Amino acid sequence: MKRIVIGLLCVCLLLSFVAGVSAKKLKFAFMPGIADPFYFTMEKGAQAMADKLGVELIVGEFPKAWGPEYQVPILKALVARGDIDLLFTAPTSTEALIPVLKEIYDSGIPVITVDTYLKDGDYSKPSNYSFPLSYIGTDNFLGGQVVAGAMAVLLGGKGKVFLENTNPDVSSVMGRENGFRAGIEIFPEMELVGVEYCLDLQETAAAQVSAALQKDPDIAGVFGVNVFSAQGAYQAIASAGLVGAVKIATWDATQTLIEALRKGEIDLILAQMPAEMGALCVEWGYKHLTEGAEVPKKIIPGFFVFTKDNVNDADAQQYIYK
Amino acid sequence: MMDKADFREILVILVKRWILIFLAIELVFFAVFGTNYLSLRNLQNILLTSTVVLLLATGQTFVIITGGIDLSVGFMVGFSGVICAKVMVSLQAAGISQSVAVSSGIAVALILGLLPGLINGLLVARLRVPPFIATFGMYGIAYGFAEIISNNVPIHNLPTLVSSIGHGYLIYWLPEKAFTFFKIPENLTRLELQNLVPIVPNVTVIAFIFVAIFAFILAKTRFGQHTYAIGGSVDAAERAGINVKRHLIKVYMISSFFASLAGVCYVLMFITGRAPAGSARLLDAVVAVVIGGASLYGGTGSIGGTIIGVLIIGVLQIGLVNLGVPTYNLYIAVGCILILAVLVDQFLPKLVHGKD
Repeated sequence: MKRIVIGLLCVCLLLSFVAGVSAKKLKFAFMPGIADPFYFTMEKGAQAMADKLGVELIVGEFPKAWGPEYQVPILKALVARGDIDLLFTAPTSTEALIPVLKEIYDSGIPVITVDTYLKDGDYSKPSNYSFPLSYIGTDNFLGGQVVAGAMAVLLGGKGKVFLENTNPDVSSVMGRENGFRAGIEIFPEMELVGVEYCLDLQETAAAQVSAALQKDPDIAGVFGVNVFSAQGAYQAIASAGLVGAVKIATWDATQTLIEALRKGEIDLILAQMPAEMGALCVEWGYKHLTEGAEVPKKIIPGFFVFTKDNVNDADAQQYIYK
Repeated sequence: MMDKADFREILVILVKRWILIFLAIELVFFAVFGTNYLSLRNLQNILLTSTVVLLLATGQTFVIITGGIDLSVGFMVGFSGVICAKVMVSLQAAGISQSVAVSSGIAVALILGLLPGLINGLLVARLRVPPFIATFGMYGIAYGFAEIISNNVPIHNLPTLVSSIGHGYLIYWLPEKAFTFFKIPENLTRLELQNLVPIVPNVTVIAFIFVAIFAFILAKTRFGQHTYAIGGSVDAAERAGINVKRHLIKVYMISSFFASLAGVCYVLMFITGRAPAGSARLLDAVVAVVIGGASLYGGTGSIGGTIIGVLIIGVLQIGLVNLGVPTYNLYIAVGCILILAVLVDQFLPKLVHGKD
């Protein structure tokens, strides 16, 4: 018995020693929004930069569904470890995450929001949500406009289009919607005939696009704002026998969507740069903590537009999410 | 030397208390291998994360003791949450003060939340619909109504008071300087804010008050005795003069009351009303009750056991995140614990009576 107790004590001592040694390294926590290729790619980008700078990256469990009730418990458990120097996260609600992240910030951990943001994402003027160091992510409004323009080119500048969205309380996809609306308005012969929200469920998206096609059989283009809405749209268009006749534009260059583009199931993909976003979070966080660098309140990486013509180009391959 | 009878006695005591021992082993394991696992912050986090399951499981304990089951609670969380959020948002839009809007939202949700329980009870007690079917039907109905009320999108833009309640703590303590209830002490510097120790989340306090009241009712009152009696044998209970039908209706209403309360807590914690809110927690709640020593055949179970059951799941869930182990392992672990619980339940009598 005595020997066991002594053995256990030794193990504990050893563990605390190991913990003491590794405490000198900066520890960043990354809390993703959902388990999907976009955030996996972001993690890889962040990890690569962390390795380069000698930062330890702790990644929270990827939530299985989108929403604060899945993300918040994991996030809270992650920061409760108490050894984290900086957090970067994609808030899954523009409202619900404000008090949660505020509490984390108040406890002394700087916060960066990546890909999605709090409220309107403007942290430059003082408010109850202006505490994050920065928003690092796509300008979704601009991206929505880019998609609208590219769609207009595909359709020859005229026709009815439909928008399949996911969640009305998520900043990123609402930005895409508003940008797309504004972009379509530029073309007098184009009309946005409807917007639906599928809450990230592919079956719902398929049903909603089917219903839209019933109502307006002459819809010429659909913009699905993410992988679930775009693939739902393809299902609906395929089962209506309209593949090719209805153009599909989507967002995010996942392997699945790139394959679909190669097969001609969809026509246009706007790629964000998740790996770069992850890397920027780690890089700016590191500069902020070690050199006291002032982080810009908004950092916007660019886009890449995939079509059937450039999808196999050598220099386009780096933008595919892996 | 210990003789065989003594050894058996010790074994019986250990096996009877196995869930407590199991919980202790979990805590020790995560304390050794996790990072700051036993910190006040993390322990409070476990309680907060377990709140919805705890409330669902408490109501479910009553139903399971009578030999029934209430599957409707999964979507009752969303149902009452959506009502709660909708009332708050509408009243706020009508220019009514925040405190009135928030308290009306909570009151309306809790009152309307009794309705599905009443219907479940009437179906089970008066019309002899099997509990599984009656409450499964209600599961779908509650979800459908929740989607209609919320117009298929989460309700947000709730009064700011909601977040100050839901993310507030009972006590704020700044070592050697300030000590306040409900509100963060004013005029703190950034450094003082970092050292502030918040103690006991409001939501946990609300949940534990109701759980304690109903634990008392189940353990110490005639209502509780009747609940066990019905679970033991409906015929015997009737012969003893218990109005079984009326009692069952009350039990299903208790369950739906707790589900509505869980819905209200959900709104307080996440500042949104979402129709599918608690559906993922239903199974956890039933598992917690069974781990806690209740038999699905009725007649046994206790709130104390249920609380331990809830904690076993909560401690494991947060522990896996703390260790950085993917939480789908949780499903495997919880599944194993559940089966173990039922096995112990089956073989314990044999052990006690000494038949091998």
